[in-house]
Amino acid sequence: MTFIQSPQTWDAIVVGSGMTGGWAAKELTELGLRTLVLDAGRPITPEQDYVEHKPAWEMPFRGLNDRRAVEARQSSQRRSVSFDEWSHRFWTDDVENPYATPADKPFDWFRARQVGGKSIIWGRQVYRWSDLDFEANARDGIAVDWPIRYADLAPWYDLVEQFIGVSGQAEGLAHLPDGPFLPPMAMNCVEQHVRARLAERFRRERVLTIGRVATLTEGKGERAACHYCGPCHRGCITRSYFSSVNATLPAARATGRMTLRPWSIAHSLVYDPRRGRVSAVRVIDARTREQREYRGRIVFLCASALESARILLNSATTRFPDGLANSSGQVGRNIMDHIKWGGARGRFDGFDDRREIGARPNGIYVPRFRNVAARHPDFVRGYGFQGGAGRSGWQAALRSRGIGANLKARLGELGPWSMGLGGFGEMLPRETNRAMLHPTLKDAWGIPSLHIECAWSDNELAMHRDMNVSAAELLEAAGARDIVPDGRGPSTPGNTNHEMGTARMGRDAATSVLNSWNQAWDVPNLFVTDGACMTSSGNQNPSLTYMALTARACHHAVDEMRSGSL
Amino acid sequence: MKRRALLQWMAAGTGLRSLSARDTAELGREVHRMARLDDRPGALDPQQTRTVAAAAETILPAGDGPGATEAGVAAFVDRMMADWYPPAERDAFLAGLLDLDARARTRAGRAFTDCGEADQIAVVTALDDELAALRARPGAASPDQHWFAILKYLTIWGYCTSAAGAQHLGLDAMPLRYDGNAPYQPRAGR
Repeated sequence: MTFIQSPQTWDAIVVGSGMTGGWAAKELTELGLRTLVLDAGRPITPEQDYVEHKPAWEMPFRGLNDRRAVEARQSSQRRSVSFDEWSHRFWTDDVENPYATPADKPFDWFRARQVGGKSIIWGRQVYRWSDLDFEANARDGIAVDWPIRYADLAPWYDLVEQFIGVSGQAEGLAHLPDGPFLPPMAMNCVEQHVRARLAERFRRERVLTIGRVATLTEGKGERAACHYCGPCHRGCITRSYFSSVNATLPAARATGRMTLRPWSIAHSLVYDPRRGRVSAVRVIDARTREQREYRGRIVFLCASALESARILLNSATTRFPDGLANSSGQVGRNIMDHIKWGGARGRFDGFDDRREIGARPNGIYVPRFRNVAARHPDFVRGYGFQGGAGRSGWQAALRSRGIGANLKARLGELGPWSMGLGGFGEMLPRETNRAMLHPTLKDAWGIPSLHIECAWSDNELAMHRDMNVSAAELLEAAGARDIVPDGRGPSTPGNTNHEMGTARMGRDAATSVLNSWNQAWDVPNLFVTDGACMTSSGNQNPSLTYMALTARACHHAVDEMRSGSL
Repeated sequence: MKRRALLQWMAAGTGLRSLSARDTAELGREVHRMARLDDRPGALDPQQTRTVAAAAETILPAGDGPGATEAGVAAFVDRMMADWYPPAERDAFLAGLLDLDARARTRAGRAFTDCGEADQIAVVTALDDELAALRARPGAASPDQHWFAILKYLTIWGYCTSAAGAQHLGLDAMPLRYDGNAPYQPRAGR
């Protein structure tokens, strides 16, 4: 392939404009760098592309999806919990973007290619890590130790949380540190009841709190407080929840130093062996297929864990025959996700005269309680529960008996209250869970795609079994009836869309890809700050940690540029 | 332009022969584009549409709010049969409509659409009872794919996701606040 060289040299190039790319764009431009931000997908204009207020009757299939189109073009993407007839345009086309797995090891790779990336469709749950997480690998003798501890990241958590706006309830738990929270969203009557009953039974050992979400409960600059319309994954015209489109990219744009280039698929990075640095990013225009090379002094990979690994693997040179920055052989390895589909649901009587009004885009959270104080005999690490209480609506009638006026009257009635709890469990890093370049499979632009091999280990499966047991125990303690365990079995790896670990941070160049500043050991002007950098997975939703690591890495990179070492 | 209007315009023979080959090709593309975007051909013929509408109205009748007809359920079923269900399930559904008529003829000596309300209710109730029995039978082969299960599902779904139905049921309200402890009385008690 021949790439046309662009004349300009940028101070920084950021590959990806989503959760972490938006933060890199904001921090680097605010620190004075002229920054080129590349995204593989289309531009997003909230006024045109956000559809959260579009009612079902304006949708051709009333929310049941354009089944044939989805089966033909998005048969993988549709398995995401956030995929629906409204939001499907925020996910990639599986035909243009294929990947492969062994037949007996399915992996769900959910991808978003548009300005904003997955920050448009994310779950918005944000939980800090603590040293229980950062010390875990060292304590258990698993994989490699994190090169940082909570104290290194705490100020960056503060910075990120203050900017994105996080509503939540301070609980004073050492292993789930509080932040500068906006007022918490309200729990409904049954959730309050359960919280109180669990506090009586378990004291501080098992706590039920309102979810901590990157959704404003008070106005903040140009962003309005949440108005509880509900379907955040379809966009947010009031910019109430955090996404890069809603917050970080506008901040970067305001500096006048950002150039945002959509439709720009990063093909590979160009390595200058003389200087030992990455010198440019090779890009294929998604529409014209024009091939261009953009030069930059530093490069931030923020393309998502697997895409960033893919770019490195596609950037092999004679110096790095197994992929750029891959002298350790760890690029593409140690894929982690969070295991889910374990938990339980139970009915709560005695609240029939109460209901919810408005659609709260948030649930409750039970922070990890396994292997915090006492050691569990069956597994290391732990899981948190997410869930909530509510009353069933008209959907309960779809398969019920009865016709006529009685049936119609029932459509307007609310069913009994029930609460569901679903676990999100930590996955251990293992080198055998890996992505590599597929020998023949290419995407629609001729770029080699990935072959992904990833499976749960006994530790995750033991944890998954325990989720059903302990969720039932919590519900029973709170007075639930007819408790039913989650019968789905372990989730498909990748389905939680928390994939990470494919270019891990570590303490030495032999066993890790990145140093404590997300800087490639092999290529000092290359930074990887998306989920690829993670050394272990924790059980918390990871985006907050990615954002904090990104902001921290940006400041370090600029310090090094100013001191002349970069 | 609606498909019908487009077809009328074409039927009027507006000088197609005078168009150049290029214009004709362009017109062809335009016709296909409109047909695709506007109202694609449905799966139900007029009589089948009337049958679906009558059965849906029996499942969710007017009175204390709009019924299935006012909520446009038949058009939704038509769309789903044309563009959503696989051909085998669509054909089974269309065969089911023949079964509905056969049951109506056995009971009242006429097609379902020509039956009085009492006969329509009796025929649909019998189907609903059979479906309930099928659902209750352990190991029954996919009761959700029974044609009447599909009709009932689409009737309820189409009603509750229509503007008229959602408004009647209060599902369309955007209260702009969250209250997790609001008073509630079942409709029957109000």
